[in-house]
Amino acid sequence: MKQLEAARKRAEADWTKLRESQPLVMVGTATCGRSAGAVEVLNALAVEAKRRKLVVKFIEVGCIGSCYSEPIVCVQRPGEPAVVYGNVDTKSAVQIVAAHLGNGEPLAAHALGTLGEGSFDGIPNLWMQPFFRPQVRRVLRRCGFIDPRSLDHYLATDGYKGLEKALSMAPEAIISEVERAGLRGRGGAGFPTFRKWRFCREAPSEQKYLICNADEGDPGAFMNRSVLESDPHAVLEGMIIAGRAIGASTGYVYCRAEYPLALERLRASIADAESMGILGNDVLGSGFSFHIEVKEGAGAFVCGEETALIASIEGHRGMPRTRPPFPAISGLWGKPTIINNVESLASVSLILQNGAAWYAEVGSEKSKGTKTFALVGKVRHTGLVEAPMGITLREMIYDIGGGILDDKPLKAVQTGGPSGGCIPASLIDTPVDYDSLNALGTIMGSGGLVVMDEDTCAVDFARYFLDFARQESCGECVPCRLGTTQLMQILEDITRGRGTPSDIDLLVEMGEAVKKGSLCGLGQTAPNPVLTAIRYFREEFEDHVLRNRCPAAVCKEIISAPCMHACPIDTQAATYISLIAEGRLAEAFDVILADNPLPSVCARVCHHPCEDKCTAGKWGKPIAIRALKRFATDAAKAAGIYPDKKREPRRGEKVAIVGSGPAGLMAGYQLARSGHDVTIFESLPVVGGALAVYIPAYRLPREQLADDIRHIQNAGVQIETGVTIGVDISFAQLRERYRAIFIATGAHAPSAMRIPNEDAEGVIPAMAFLKDTALGNEISIGKRIAVVGGGNAAIDAARSALRTRGVEQVTILYRRTRKEMPAFEEEIEAALEEGVRIEYLVAPVRVLADSGRLEGVECLRMELGPLDASGRRRPVPIEGSEFIVELDTLMPAIGERADTPFLPDSIEKTRWDTIATCSETFATNLEGVFAGGDVVTGPDTVIEAMAAGKIAASMIDRYLRGDPVRRSYSFVRPSLYLPGVTLTDEEIESADRPKMERIPVSRRIHHDVEDEIGLARDQAVAEARRCLRCDLETEHACEALRRQAGDAP
Amino acid sequence: MNEQLERIYSNYQGKQEELIPILQRVQETFGYLPEGAIASIARFARVPEANVYAVATFYAQFRFSPIGRNHIMVCRGTSCQVRGAPRILESLEKRIGVREGETSKDLEYSVETVACIGACGLSPCIMVNKKVEAKLSPRKIAELFPAKQVAE
Repeated sequence: MKQLEAARKRAEADWTKLRESQPLVMVGTATCGRSAGAVEVLNALAVEAKRRKLVVKFIEVGCIGSCYSEPIVCVQRPGEPAVVYGNVDTKSAVQIVAAHLGNGEPLAAHALGTLGEGSFDGIPNLWMQPFFRPQVRRVLRRCGFIDPRSLDHYLATDGYKGLEKALSMAPEAIISEVERAGLRGRGGAGFPTFRKWRFCREAPSEQKYLICNADEGDPGAFMNRSVLESDPHAVLEGMIIAGRAIGASTGYVYCRAEYPLALERLRASIADAESMGILGNDVLGSGFSFHIEVKEGAGAFVCGEETALIASIEGHRGMPRTRPPFPAISGLWGKPTIINNVESLASVSLILQNGAAWYAEVGSEKSKGTKTFALVGKVRHTGLVEAPMGITLREMIYDIGGGILDDKPLKAVQTGGPSGGCIPASLIDTPVDYDSLNALGTIMGSGGLVVMDEDTCAVDFARYFLDFARQESCGECVPCRLGTTQLMQILEDITRGRGTPSDIDLLVEMGEAVKKGSLCGLGQTAPNPVLTAIRYFREEFEDHVLRNRCPAAVCKEIISAPCMHACPIDTQAATYISLIAEGRLAEAFDVILADNPLPSVCARVCHHPCEDKCTAGKWGKPIAIRALKRFATDAAKAAGIYPDKKREPRRGEKVAIVGSGPAGLMAGYQLARSGHDVTIFESLPVVGGALAVYIPAYRLPREQLADDIRHIQNAGVQIETGVTIGVDISFAQLRERYRAIFIATGAHAPSAMRIPNEDAEGVIPAMAFLKDTALGNEISIGKRIAVVGGGNAAIDAARSALRTRGVEQVTILYRRTRKEMPAFEEEIEAALEEGVRIEYLVAPVRVLADSGRLEGVECLRMELGPLDASGRRRPVPIEGSEFIVELDTLMPAIGERADTPFLPDSIEKTRWDTIATCSETFATNLEGVFAGGDVVTGPDTVIEAMAAGKIAASMIDRYLRGDPVRRSYSFVRPSLYLPGVTLTDEEIESADRPKMERIPVSRRIHHDVEDEIGLARDQAVAEARRCLRCDLETEHACEALRRQAGDAP
Repeated sequence: MNEQLERIYSNYQGKQEELIPILQRVQETFGYLPEGAIASIARFARVPEANVYAVATFYAQFRFSPIGRNHIMVCRGTSCQVRGAPRILESLEKRIGVREGETSKDLEYSVETVACIGACGLSPCIMVNKKVEAKLSPRKIAELFPAKQVAE
């Protein structure tokens, strides 16, 4: 012990001197740091310091855990706080040396935070940063701050004090201390550590073994690797303490071979410990003998299971053995053996050093202490974190993790690796501890947390885990060997579009059987991913097997290309893009027209769900599909092939459609094409519904809309304007004269703001203003306008107001921030360009009126409060922040409602006054009456309304023919496959999404002047060539291409 | 080959528990387990050949055919999976013309997928020999590897 005391004193003195005698630079060179380029950064720092003749001490340290900001460099000059820099590259390395070491001025722009006493302007304390603040770093406290190869550094930071304490205690006292601390196994099962130890202690045997399980096979978990690379002695110390407690004289570390750096550091640390007398025949002079040997795993996940691990050390295949007897009684070579996880052992040293009460002071009731987690997947701040047990998933993901990438909504979190399950977003307030997770059907496991968004398919994810389990199954027992194979095959079939409805219940039944019948933990937990996926995402499974859909657009055989799958009207985007790439514009347009009778409209105003799912968008910018559609459509018009010729109308059954908006026009077109006699009744004097009177002409010029309407009329659809159902014709009369009716009157009744005086003159609903503008009615709104709202209607009203004569200033008042605005990004940008002012985080509370006339509006400032269930922060008013905006006109644009006074009371409505319909067939409760579009859904997009019209038309067609009114779901497949183009190296280098140009702001003065300029031909072809051609990746495509090439199928 | 094997055996006593370390050293030396090595190890350890084959074929680490000078391991761990690993594998296969589980004829490249290399915070990742390449995208794959030679 004396030798150690002396060594520790010297180490502590050196540790202090290290920072006092010269500047210190620490670079994180563990595995993550290296793969991010830390070694090159270290070299760059050293070279620059030498060049400037600066005396600097360089140390290589481990990982502080903020992987998202690797490489990490910590710089400290004597007497000053340390500064931790993130995302350092060779360039910023040179700048850091120059500024911080050379001039004593830290570079705030690259700094993550400071450490220690004191502060620098503009740099917060590191531990106050959102990633670190909720953390309680105990096991990880040395990681990233000591040289893992230095025993001195370990000693200087209280290392081996726990061991010294343990050597002065009786073994049973050590076990009691661990019992009081409440430590549960950190490897996965969470079994109370003290209990295993006590069984082993009580087993009579001269020879006992202590094994550290460092096999860490869970994909997505790297907690153990980090500790082994960054603070290996902490694990060794725990092992020696454990050995003393149970009476073992030999310890093994079983570490997977895929961790070469961890193995290297372990071996070096063991050698150092031996030379200091910490390991050997007489540990620190106590008479206790303990030796540690390192065993390498050989690539078998099952060897993380205790008895399989033991078999592996013995030199056999890693096949588990039946228990009882448990390893604590009969383990390695038949001797009593304890296997503990790396983190459990690192925790043991801390418990002995600081005491059980200290350990149990954090955590939840039955899960004491802290736990390390690997937070990975779709979060901004991925990395290794340590938090008290009981922290919620919400805090993990949104506070520590910084929220979801691109602010997409959270879908689920996978915990416990392949043995665990997923937790849906609705349960985000679940505390993370052993029992809470078990109750949900998952497990804590080793602490992996994989965050998923809408782009992860629950079915495919379950398949992925079952595939893993199947490969790693040792093969010994039938339920696991055959069960995991069968489960995987069924899931594989489902993802390939070959699933059947009964498959879902079969998966559950079989999963339960595999759990019950398997010999070891691998088989017993392998079904968890699929069982939880079905429990929480059953509808997604049903989408796959009943409706041939993959909502996440992942399962290739089902979706073909994600753009096509995402399109509500099944437009073959990939096909027409591939035709444009070859310059075959007329054919491209034919493909567009085949599914879309409103091409000019969609080319300008569709919100492009296709682009949101575009694969190219995952690593760069999505293909500009809408712009390409416009290019092809404009070209078709220039070539005179659109609108096409009038068709001979066929006279079948008579159908009436109420409303000539996108839903009604699409339905009418489809029904006419099916041979029916269709009449659309429109109460306004113009055709188009929202397309004609709410979407401003500068976005959708009237001539463009007119072309599409003519195309639809040419198909045989009759449109009667100026006819209001319920006034000119009663609904009852309509039902007498027409065999079927489709109601598509939209939702445009304004919602009230519910503030005092909102009925004052000068308060004009945005929708009313837009309609008057479109119809050419008299408009008098004064000079100063404010629009309330953040959706497209608000932006449309604001931009239209600016184009109205006399208007000088337009302000949008929105109660959240720009990030939360639902309006299209392009529209917001255009509005700002044109000089619309947007006031964020304000809400009107009172209209100020004089004699019933608007003078202004009183507003309150808001701040964003906690997240609500939708993942958005709710605005919370700031007391006393009232201010007044003087106005001539106030336009509320805060949402629209459906309003159908012409319908009889017998029609079923929802509580939002929209029409209640069957979600699949669009049928109302009245015989022969169908409804679709905004009148059913409330305000939604043009393309969704068109989709409703298309589906309703096919249902009405079936109804008219006397067929069962039922949906049939088929795969969306291209009608034509073109072989892919080969890009030149230069194209690969430089190809990027073209920016959609608009005319200069100075020319945007009239409502009728279209502001978007379409793509030029070379831009369009280049962009079309950039398409990744996901449509070619199905079996169907490969077949087709083979046939085309002339090979025998 | 025998000389190199003898050199490895000199560090061991021929016990069952040394089987995996011996196999690991042999693979380190030759890059794979050559034909005849299994029989030799079985003789040294005085166990049936089937015993050694059982162990060698059970563990994923061991291979019976050579790998390329650049052995590429594509991580298919959970975090990498969620962040687009399948697409990375595809773009790699297209780029160098070698598919998963195969070695190129000139022994320049071999490709396999592995369960998790533990750099999850920087996914998607691959390992080329011992070096980890992280935060990948199809464009980065094109930067890391030259296009396959078109062999007609």
